Amino acid sequence: MSISLNNINKKLGNFFLKDLNLSINDGEYFVLLGPSGSGKTKIIEMIAGLLRPDSGTISGVEGEKIGLIYQDYMLFPHMNVFENISYGLRFRDLGRKEIRDRVVKTAGEYGISHLLDKRIEMLSGGEKQRTAIARATILSPGIYIFDEPTSALDRNLKEKTRILFRELHRKTKKIFVHVTHDFEEALSLADKIGIIFDGEIVQTGTPDQIFCFPSSKLVADFLGYKNVIKGEVKESIFRSNGVSLMVNGENSSLSYVAIRSDDIFLSEKKISSSARNSFHGVVIDIVKKSTIVEVVVDIGFPLSVDITRRSFVDMKISIGKKIWATFKVSSVRVFTH
Amino acid sequence: MKTKHIFVLPGILLLLFLGYPLIKMIFDVDPKILLDTAKEKEVMDSIVLTLRASLFSTIAALFTGIPLAYVFARKEFPGKKFLEGLIDIPVIIPHTAVGIALLSAWGRHSQINKLTGINIVGTEVAISMAMFFVSVPFLVNSVKSGFRLIDPRYENTAITLGASPWQAFYTVSLPMVKKSIISGSIMMWGRGISEFGAVIILAYHPVTAPVLIFERFQNFGLQYALPVTVIMIGISLVIFFLVRIYEGRK
Repeated sequence: MSISLNNINKKLGNFFLKDLNLSINDGEYFVLLGPSGSGKTKIIEMIAGLLRPDSGTISGVEGEKIGLIYQDYMLFPHMNVFENISYGLRFRDLGRKEIRDRVVKTAGEYGISHLLDKRIEMLSGGEKQRTAIARATILSPGIYIFDEPTSALDRNLKEKTRILFRELHRKTKKIFVHVTHDFEEALSLADKIGIIFDGEIVQTGTPDQIFCFPSSKLVADFLGYKNVIKGEVKESIFRSNGVSLMVNGENSSLSYVAIRSDDIFLSEKKISSSARNSFHGVVIDIVKKSTIVEVVVDIGFPLSVDITRRSFVDMKISIGKKIWATFKVSSVRVFTH
Repeated sequence: MKTKHIFVLPGILLLLFLGYPLIKMIFDVDPKILLDTAKEKEVMDSIVLTLRASLFSTIAALFTGIPLAYVFARKEFPGKKFLEGLIDIPVIIPHTAVGIALLSAWGRHSQINKLTGINIVGTEVAISMAMFFVSVPFLVNSVKSGFRLIDPRYENTAITLGASPWQAFYTVSLPMVKKSIISGSIMMWGRGISEFGAVIILAYHPVTAPVLIFERFQNFGLQYALPVTVIMIGISLVIFFLVRIYEGRK
């Protein structure tokens, strides 16, 4: 089974989903990544059958049960944990005992057996999350859909949630459609990522493809590329602010280049290597993070470079120090938009 | 400190303005007459009629007003603002005018009367209709605000769990607005009980409590109107406190 959305159009107020095409393969963990207001939630609501497209078709979802989990879990506040988990079972032809048995079993799997009589407002964030997952999984859905499931969580619970989702995916081998604006989350979970901006899917691919080869300036910006520079390309030379870079790209009077900050080396002396872009600049800023240090070097424009804390200490880097920054031609992505 | 006083004084004046006539009335009434009045069949009948007619209008409003409130809270459609405004009209127009309008729509010479032969004038049904017309905004607006506060994603979740849209409404949204329904109903019921203007035009008889108060004042003067008034206000206050206690529990 696979899902495909074909030429979907949908108008919602002033917002449009434009000629959207998307395919999700059987058993795939698909992450729809985009800023808020980009139309992600509308797409999953269409997959879940809650919203009809104005035109276009959606196939692969007919008759499939959907396990939809929203950011705030949407646990019914007037029901207790048991009633929430068993909610979907009440629409099936099941006896009371069977419902009870199934709920107890599922609650056991998620470690919430002791909470079955509790009111929803008494639960912690993590307990609410497990209740919501139990409520969805008890129906053995063919497709799981998560809408920003971690955006309200603290770092610790966020990491636990990702582990929980990965395990659930391994165990069920079902299609997972996961919506987020957090690219790190997308990279850590997805088999395939679709990037959406303003109602349009601008790039799809594996996390590696997307992260290493963003298709546009917009995607590079969104993926947290710190070095996105505007200039022009002529005969494989990119020029901006008096600086010339060797690139692989077509001639264009308006181009952007993006260089990942961990693709750049710093050295005290010029190094002879296959890397053909080497610049002498001055350190203008230092941002210390947990295991890496971001060093900003002015080479005519500011260039952010991520180095290990160890290298930072060894090179005795400080603001004002002159230093060489080196990167390969293949590390420079060139876009015309 | 001074600012506090500036706020306290107008507040006390307002409360005195509201409270003084009520308290004065209670002290003015002769306890013996009050007791005799409470035993009068006409008085008790009119009070029971008033409570019952308003209750029926509230029950009718539950069946029609809740679906309408849901549509107002959830759906967007052309002319919605106009229709929402229409619901509020009974609050701002004189209630005698409401009575006249109802009379022309349902009275002896109306189209409805000519086509169906139904004549409601002077019946308990007419009283309920008049009460319904003027007090239904309280229920609809209260329930509408209740539905507005409920994230539609609750229903979406219920639907993905296998509920039909109706089941999702009935098992999820409706119980979640229970409090708005109850407080809206109490407000509507209370407002219906106090209705005079529209009722007296549509049905002088059977006599509701507000009409009885008016009648006794017209025919016998203040002293005879007072005991009925005290009993009626006593009942209204009980309803008022019920609402406040209920809202306090939220």
